[in-house]
Amino acid sequence: MGEFLESYYNAFILDNRYLAYLDGLKITLLISFFAIILGSLIGIIVAIAKVTAQKSKGKNWFTIVCIKLVNTICNGYINIIRGTPVMVQLLIIYNLIFTSRNTNEIVVGAICFGINSGAYVAEIVRAGIESIDKGQNEAGRSLGLNNIQTMLYIILPQAIKNILPALGNEFIVLVKETSVAGVIAVTDLTKAAQYIGSRTYQPLPPLIITAVFYLIIVLGLTKFLGIFERRMRQGDKH
Amino acid sequence: MISTKNLQKSFGKHMVLNGITQNIQKGEKVVVIGPSGSGKSTFLRCLNLLEQPTDGEIWFENNNITDPKCNINKLRQKMGMVFQQFNLFPHLTVQQNITLAPVKLKLMTQEEADQKAIKLLERIGLSDKAGAYPRQLSGGQQQRIAIIRALAMDPDVMLFDEPTSALDPEMVGEVLELMKELAEAGMTMVVVTHEMGFAKEVATRVLFIDEGQVKEENNPKDFFENPRNPRLKDFLSKVL
Repeated sequence: MGEFLESYYNAFILDNRYLAYLDGLKITLLISFFAIILGSLIGIIVAIAKVTAQKSKGKNWFTIVCIKLVNTICNGYINIIRGTPVMVQLLIIYNLIFTSRNTNEIVVGAICFGINSGAYVAEIVRAGIESIDKGQNEAGRSLGLNNIQTMLYIILPQAIKNILPALGNEFIVLVKETSVAGVIAVTDLTKAAQYIGSRTYQPLPPLIITAVFYLIIVLGLTKFLGIFERRMRQGDKH
Repeated sequence: MISTKNLQKSFGKHMVLNGITQNIQKGEKVVVIGPSGSGKSTFLRCLNLLEQPTDGEIWFENNNITDPKCNINKLRQKMGMVFQQFNLFPHLTVQQNITLAPVKLKLMTQEEADQKAIKLLERIGLSDKAGAYPRQLSGGQQQRIAIIRALAMDPDVMLFDEPTSALDPEMVGEVLELMKELAEAGMTMVVVTHEMGFAKEVATRVLFIDEGQVKEENNPKDFFENPRNPRLKDFLSKVL
């Protein structure tokens, strides 16, 4: 028992090692937070583009070409991102695109995970938009609102409410996926644990501690989403 | 006010509207009846371009709305529409449902729109429901709110697409009553309905649409007492 406690003491307290976890936690949270925001933005825009392209009928060759182009770009993005591992995407973006000397790895990480998440969010949001009765769109348009206003004020709020559980899922997966960010030399929570493990020659305790940190983040996120969901269900009361 | 010239609409090979030419004057109350699948709803939905006609022209207040250059959003502000399924916005309160469009289209400030909403709600006796959500209301209440939501835009014409067909029988009366009030106040109305009583009482002109064409049109008295078209005679004998 004493040995067990000592190993955790070494992994967490000795030499102020908890500071390393907190630094790693900060980076994990930063990457996750900005990736969620970027992913949501990309997802919503791609979903709206796809839905709009689907339902608009081309009147002349120019609009037909535009619709085809938008559709192709959106589908290509979704297929490529969903069809390749996130770690490979991370390495490619890190090595190929951000080649200059002083790149900020945290920014690279946030952008990469955001682009990755956007593809999944896009499909979730599209499902949400298509779940809304078309009478809602007609009611908005018949009042004189244009396509974008109807989407923003009428369709999207209802769609988001319907897809909140699926979105929550995606965000949880995203937070945990950031644990591979270590491959681009970011010292996130997981990487910090690995460093400490290599210092104490006992890899298991820091990994368990890290697992608890992830669990707390995800439980917190779940709680937050639950509150948000309840608030959006106001209109459902009978 | 609204005129259609040889209006045609087909879904694929299926011809739904087969050349409809109509003139609807200011203040008229035109009631459109016909068997299901005859194209009467499609005709109404073409008038504010919820359906894009395949051929022909529609003119509204001297604007050719079938012209692609025409700003249909602007013109729709002047054409209120009421749907069979009410289509209130379930995520917004009753008051927000009414004020959304006038405020977002910058026709009124939020305060002006709120005042107008309360006035309209008082008029239909539902001012206590301003903060309620649509799902908490009965069908009749929802449809009356859908009507005043359209009225909040100060439309020049109101289009009704079978406004009472989705209602419980006991709620049909309150909606028809509100529509009658509107008619008496001088609103131009185009109503697609199966309520023959309403047609007889309120209409200034009744159209019978079948197979995508206006087969007969007349004032309500002659329309119901002396129908000439054999298809209309048959239809009336079944519904009256």
